[in-house]
Formats: sequence, C-alpha cells, structure tokens
Amino acid sequence: MALATTVLLAACSGTAAAGGGASATSTTTVGFIMVGSAKDAGYNEAVADGAAAVQKDLGTSVKVLTADQVPENNSVTQTMQAMVDKGATVIFATSYGYFTYAHDFAVAHPKVTVLHQGGFDKDTFPANFGTYWGQAYDPVGLGGMAAGGTTKTNKLGFIYAFPIPQTIANIDAFELGAQLVNPAAETYIVNTSNWCDPLKQKQAVTALLAQGADVFSQHQDCQSTVIQAVKAAGKYVVGYHYDAQSLDPSGWLTGSAWNWAPIYEKIIGAVQKGTFTGGPYNANWIGSFATGDNPLELASFGTSVSADLKAKIEAEKAVISKPDASIFAGPLYCQDGSVLVPAGHVATAAEVNAFSCLIKGVVGTLPKS
Amino acid sequence: MSIAGEILANAIPGSIALVYPALGELVSERAGVINLGTEGAMLAGALGGIATSIGTGNVWLGVVVAVLCGAATGSVHATAVVLRRANQLASGLVVWFLALGVTSVLGASDNGQVVSLLGAVAVPGLSSIPVVGPVLFDQNLLVYLGYVLVPATWWFIHYTRGGLVLRATGERPAVVFAGGHKPLRVRFLAVCAGSAIAGLGGAQLALGIVGNWSNGMTNGYGFVAVAVVIFARWNPFGVLLGSYVFGVALAISSVVQAHGIATNQYLLDALPYCVTVVVLVAVSSVGRSNAPESQRDALSETS
Amino acid sequence: MTSERLVLTRSRAWDVARSAHRAVSWTRVGIVAGAYVLCLVAFAAFAAWRGANPLTLIPTMLQSSLLEPSALAQTLLRAVPIGFAALAVAVPARAGLVNVGGEGQLIIGAVAGAGVGIAVGAHVPGVVGVLLTVTAGTLAGGLWAAISGMLKVAFGAAESVTTLLMNFIANDIMLFLIYQPWKDPNGSGQPQSRPLAASIRLQPLLGTGVTLAVVLLVVVTVGLWFVIRRTGWGFALRVVGGNPMAAMRNGLPTRRLSLSAMTVGGALAGLGGVLNLIGVEGQLRPDLTATFGYVGFLACFLGRNDPIRVALAAILFSAIALSGNGMQISEGLDGSIVNVLLGAIVLTMLTVGRRTKEALT
Repeated sequence: MALATTVLLAACSGTAAAGGGASATSTTTVGFIMVGSAKDAGYNEAVADGAAAVQKDLGTSVKVLTADQVPENNSVTQTMQAMVDKGATVIFATSYGYFTYAHDFAVAHPKVTVLHQGGFDKDTFPANFGTYWGQAYDPVGLGGMAAGGTTKTNKLGFIYAFPIPQTIANIDAFELGAQLVNPAAETYIVNTSNWCDPLKQKQAVTALLAQGADVFSQHQDCQSTVIQAVKAAGKYVVGYHYDAQSLDPSGWLTGSAWNWAPIYEKIIGAVQKGTFTGGPYNANWIGSFATGDNPLELASFGTSVSADLKAKIEAEKAVISKPDASIFAGPLYCQDGSVLVPAGHVATAAEVNAFSCLIKGVVGTLPKS
Repeated sequence: MSIAGEILANAIPGSIALVYPALGELVSERAGVINLGTEGAMLAGALGGIATSIGTGNVWLGVVVAVLCGAATGSVHATAVVLRRANQLASGLVVWFLALGVTSVLGASDNGQVVSLLGAVAVPGLSSIPVVGPVLFDQNLLVYLGYVLVPATWWFIHYTRGGLVLRATGERPAVVFAGGHKPLRVRFLAVCAGSAIAGLGGAQLALGIVGNWSNGMTNGYGFVAVAVVIFARWNPFGVLLGSYVFGVALAISSVVQAHGIATNQYLLDALPYCVTVVVLVAVSSVGRSNAPESQRDALSETS
Repeated sequence: MTSERLVLTRSRAWDVARSAHRAVSWTRVGIVAGAYVLCLVAFAAFAAWRGANPLTLIPTMLQSSLLEPSALAQTLLRAVPIGFAALAVAVPARAGLVNVGGEGQLIIGAVAGAGVGIAVGAHVPGVVGVLLTVTAGTLAGGLWAAISGMLKVAFGAAESVTTLLMNFIANDIMLFLIYQPWKDPNGSGQPQSRPLAASIRLQPLLGTGVTLAVVLLVVVTVGLWFVIRRTGWGFALRVVGGNPMAAMRNGLPTRRLSLSAMTVGGALAGLGGVLNLIGVEGQLRPDLTATFGYVGFLACFLGRNDPIRVALAAILFSAIALSGNGMQISEGLDGSIVNVLLGAIVLTMLTVGRRTKEALT
C-alpha cells in the first residue's frame, strides 16, 4: 500500500510539472458548471441555454463542455479540473457559492481563465479571473412596478433563498418599483434557506397568503412551485430567471429573464484575442440597461397588466436606461430610517453590492451575521 | 389567526406527505424489515406521478403510477433483503442512491414542467366547523386518504388475520412458518406494500402540494419518516402525531418570517430528532419496546 | 427459509464465515465476477440509452477518475472523508455494532475543527494550529459517537438507529452555527463560517495534488489493520462481536469494549471530517459532507469490515464520483448517473456476495 502510494505520488508530481493542460489549437474549449439541473426552467436552464447558444453562434471556434448538479463544495474544483483535463481554457462557474473555489482555482491555474457568475470580488483580481453579472435590480424593479400596480391588498410576497447581496438588492428594487406606482405597497419576505426546496417554497407562499399578499416574486433557482401555488390561489406572480408566462398566463404579470449568450461570447472573444487580462472582464463586470448589455431582461407582460401600467413601466425603463441611471436613485431610506442612498445620488453597482439593509416598506428582517 | 394557529394549519399538507412514508415504513418494520430506501420510494412516486400526469393529463392516473413506482422501488429492497438476505441498512441506502440517480436521469425533461394540482375538496359539514374545519377539511383527496389510512392501518394490524400474520412475521417468524404461512413471502409483500404507500407520499408532495418535479425534491423527508416510526413506537396513531410534530417543525420558519420575524430555526429543527432519540431510549430501557423482535437482529447485522 | 436457520447462533455463523473464508470455491468466484460484469454491462446499456457511447464510456470514466494524474489526485482527496467514514463503520462492526452515523460524525469533526481552528487562527505556529484543530475534530467525532455508544450499553437503544438520528442533529447544529453565530461577516450573506487561516490549511505535497490527509488515511488504515489483528483490544472486539455471551463468560468487559469501539469509530470519522475541512474546504458550508458518510457506510460493506479493503472500496467509490465529471463532460450524461452506478455495484455485491451471517428468515 505504501509502495503504491509512493508510485501514485510520483506519477502525480510528474505531470503536475507538465502544466495546466491548455492546448494551443484554434478551438477554444469552454466549460460551464451549474449547481442545479440544467433543465430546471430557472436559473440553471438559463445558463445551459446560454452555453448552447455559444456553441451554435461561435461554431467550430469553440467546444462547449457542460456539467450540472455540481454541489457547492470541493466537487466544483474537481469538475473544473476535469474540464481542464479535457482541454478547457475558459471556465464559467455559475453558482454564487462557487466563488471561493473558482477564485482559488484561477490562482492555481494561471493558464486557465476562470469566470464567476454573480460574485463581486473585493480584492485584487488575478490576471485570469473575473466576475460578471448584470444590474439585475433594474428589471426586478420594473417587475416590482407591475406588482405594485396590480396589488389590491398592497401586500407583496417575496420568497428568497439566502440573504446574499444580489438578493438584498432584488428585494429592495422590487419594493422600490412597487412604491413608484403605489406608495402604500409593502413587501413581505420569507427565506427558504435552499435554492430549490419545493415544500418550503409552497409553505412560504401559504404563509404569505395568510398575511394577505396577492402578488408574489422570488429569488429561487427553480420557480415552478411558487407559480403553481400562486395560480392555485388565483393571485399574481412576477417571475425571475426565466420567462414562465406559459405556466400561468393570467396570473403572470411579468418578470425578468436571463440572456447570457452575448456576455459569454464577448468574454470568450476577449480570451481568444488575448485581451482578457486587464480588460473589462478581468474585473467585476456589470451589464446594465444604460450600456445596453444587461444580461437580465424584462420578460413578456401577462394579460392582467393594464395598458396604463405597461406604459408607466416602459417609461421608467427609458429613465433607468440613461447613462449611469438605475432604479436606485436617492433618496432611499432603510427600514430604521437611516439613509441608504442620499438625495441626488444614484447608487453604483459596487454600492448596491454593499447594501446591507432593507428599504422602508419591506416587512421582515434579514438573518443577521 | 394567531401565529401558532397559522403554523398548525400550514403544516397539514406537508405532514400528510410524511404520514404516508411513515405508515409504509411501519408496515415494513412490523414485518421485521427496516427500509432506509423509503426516501427513494418517495422520489420514485413523485416522478412517476408527475411524468404520468404530464403524459396523460390525468392526475389520478399519476397517483396510481406513483403507488406502482413506490412498489417497484420497494421490490428492489425486498429482493435484496428478503430473497438474498442482504443487510437491510446497506440495501436501504443503496435503494436511496439508485432512486436518486434514476429519477434524476429519467426526470430531466420533466423538471419545472407543471401539472394541475389536486384540487381542494371541502367536506360538507365538517369544513364549516369553526377554526379547525377549513384547516382540516378543505384539503385535497390525498390528505383525506391519509387521514383514513391511519386508522385503517391500525385496524388492519390489530384486527385482521393478515395483520396478525404481519406482526407475527416481525416477532416470531418460526411460529408463522409452523402455522403454515410463508414468512418470506409476507416480508416481501410488506416491504413492497410499505414502499407503495411511501410512493403515495411522493404523490402528495408532487401532485398534492407543489405540482411539479425537481431533482431530489424529497430533501430527506423519507428519512424523517424512519424517525417518525420510532417516535410513534410503531403505532399508526403515533405516526399521525409524529408526522404532525415533524411537519410543524418544517412549517415554523415560513410562518414566523411572514410575520416579520427573522429566524435561525435550525436548533428547533433538531428538536424532533432529539425527542425521537429520547423516546427510543425510554422504550429500550423499560425493555418493552414495541419494536418488532426480528428487526432488532436486522439492526445489528454488521456485514 | 427453513426453521433450521432460526437456530443458527452467532458463534455458529462466525465459524461458518471463517471456514468459508478458507475454502475458495471457483464456481462461486465465477458467479460473483459474472454478476459484476453483468452489472457494468447493464449500466453501460442504461448510459447508452441516455445517449452515451458505450464503447468510450468506460475509458472516459477511467480517464476522469484514475488515469489523468490531476483526476487521480482529486479521487484520493475525496477518498479521505469517505475512507475515514468507512473505517468508522468497520471498527464498531468488529464489536458487533452498526454505526450509521458517519455523516454526522464527519460534520461534528469538521465543526469542532472549525471552531478551534478559527479561534486559534494564525496566533500559533501552523503545526500547532493544525494539531489543535485535528485533535479537536477527532475528539468531537469520538464523543459524538460515544453518545450512541452510551445509549446502547446503558439502555440498550439500538445504536444503528440513534447514530442515524444523530446525523440530522449534527447537520442542524452546523447549519445553526453557520447561519448566525459563526457566519462569515465577509461571506456576502452566504451561510458559511469564516475561512481558516492559511497556516492551518494543508498544502499539496511535493507538487502532487494530494495533501498529508491522503497519507494519513493510508497510515491509519494500515495501523487499524494491525490493531484489529494483532492487539489484545482488537482480539477482544472480535470476540465481543462474534460471541458476546462467550465474551462475557470469559470476563471481558463487553460494555466498555463496545463503548470504546463506538468511540474510536466516531473519532475516525471526526478525523476524516476535520481533514476534509483543513485539506480541501477551508470553511464550513451547508454542502460540506454531501452524503460522504453514507457512501462510507456502503464502502465498509463492500470492503467487508477489513480496513485495507474498506479503504480501497472508499477509493473506488470516490473514483466513481469523479467519473461523473467525465460522463457529463464527454458523454453528456446527467450528473446524477454516478448514483446509479454506485447503487448498482453495491446492490450486486449485496445480492450475490458471500454472506457472513445468516439472517433470521
């Protein structure tokens, strides 16, 4: 046994010296790693769709590898390694909890470009690492307008998984959007502590219905359960991740849906041209309406949204599509009355990422550290 | 309604999703076979139910297929432990892993697709009882079936010839054999029947509560069922109570948060398991455990 | 099947097992080998039905788990928690006890290790920090399992059930801690503990991908093999497990032996949990163990409680998990298909394998 181990160790050290396995052919191998099922009609399927579009659009210049249902532990390192062994030189780690593993893998494999979807690195960037996301809160805020303009009880329900910065921003944006058309609207929040636990999602909807909520939104990976529960109750829903209007045509107000292919393709292009390091993707890249490259787009409107409300939403979209604009224009106040965004200021993406409070009008508190 | 009342109401559908696998586990254990594959039977039932409902548009056909998928899952465990005398704990875990894998592979195209939920049917009269009426008697038919199955199982076990043979198989298989019955056959059928009932739990979760399929959607509730049976001391009415206790624990966090209170309820989540350990210790120490005799031998097989 | 089997005593079964061990039947070997081949063929057929190429499937799996050096390193790293969790089953099994609590003991080991490791941080030299962390994890795992051991010897509560239940309690304790009191203030809202100081993390050895944890698994495995076969304690455990009545008649302290076997088992899993923490994870997270404890339980069965075979089975299961990468990336299969393969292999083993003891039927 000891002998065998020595041989194994020697074998390992022998090839480790040979390098990261990056091959210099004209085809770039690109890996995408997802935490849930690639067919979840939600967050992960949007990633898988983006990966498939990359293969279709870029043809023979790329070879796309995908792996789904990779848990947020060292398994993701193993999957990244397996992709590199298959020749991958660009890896997209697309779950929020992959951040540490993706960052550390980039440090350990200088020849592989590693991208993390949704993270926000506060430290300096390795030359082969970057994060990307969109001003998701802008379309989410527009969805909040649809909710605020539709509610009859002035109570909205928001079901989230974990209090990560994106989620806090989404909750705040949703409530803010609702207030734009309905100052009396309040958002009640419930977390499920799981990206996809259908029973917990259903119980959350039931609990929020008991509070009188009549429009629901969510930040979960899978959204079918909430839509189903809302439909059964005859209430309204604002979707996230994926356009799911077909699941509940009358209850669906609108939502936001990812379109990842354009940014994936731009990043891959930068790597192929050798312009990645030091470029915009070797950083925290955030797409927005203002720059016309927000990966999260407003989904289609359902039949229950009035023409008047649609016009208001379109008008607000035009406002927040101006340079440096966003839904988070001051003055905005936290629940405790402290100033979140001062008057006359629009929060930058970095500031939004640091939001630690819920705005006035949100009912409920975040689990504290 | 008070927060407590809301929690108690919110917990009903999920509790019934636990009653089924727990009753199934009880039937199996009464025959002397512990089945950790119950989680797998639930998963198979959930996927079978959803896939059938999507394919045929008939939810009740889905419920029937859920039962069959549960039974099929159970037959794997039964074959291994009854016919091949394999270790029960290991075989149960294997069935769980197999079901996790097979349902994920086969269910890929059903992910996120929705079916119409089993509708609530108000029981005339009962549903108009103040407070508890709408909570208990304005539910889907699978919930009512769960209510009925508890006393039915109790009656079957204690007052029918089949129940007597089932219990005897778990306690004194030699006597059953001497009495002209086939203890192996009884055990095989009990495991399959138990898993079939667990499949109904999967159907309640998938068709009765959420209306869609997602990978591993049972999230360990099948293992909770194993704990519930111990908590219940192998008594069907105890199963009802135990399922409700665990179900309430699952529902607390959502309701409390909807009232604007942040929770970290994980220590609370551990409480039912702690109580179950205490119950087990209590029944073991007085030496009159309700645990089927031969199951104790099964639990101490080390290879 | 016949009532005659009912009167088989444990000691008789033990003798049967030992004599079966001596006499190798080639027909039997042929049947068993045939069954495993059939199992793999059935799996390949299933995979082919799901769109894989059955001819490239096996090479792909081997490539992504054992043949590619970086993959082999990852296989060995993952074998650490699985292997220790499996040894944690093997030791109590010698004394006739069933430890289904590897999952919880891995978690408690990691939790205790994280608690101590984060507290001492970089205040002490790395070696001291590692030793304190590992000791804490090992002790915690042992004490956690000792609870079940105590309940067994004091009240007769089935240890197989209490260890199973305590897995859920352990997981809830970890979740409680990382959702609030121990939550990383710089963790962007993610439920995770603060990361361990770099000085407490294990580094890859000599440019290989593996850490000291893998070496420790080998050393502990061989050590256990020796302890079980060549020491008085190991012999006493076997007597207690083989024939408790005889053990008692011969004046062996059966209760103390049972408790010690359970505690040592838990300590092994605790060690595995803390090594996984300081070796690859670096911080507590909800998905920390991801069923490694249960996989370890099955590995112990495949290895029939013999430490060396158990460790090899753990490496096999780890390799199967890693082969999932290849099956997904190259063959386009669902990531969960590894569970099918793992289940199929153990099911084959359970149904055709040699049984060492007659169950009551």
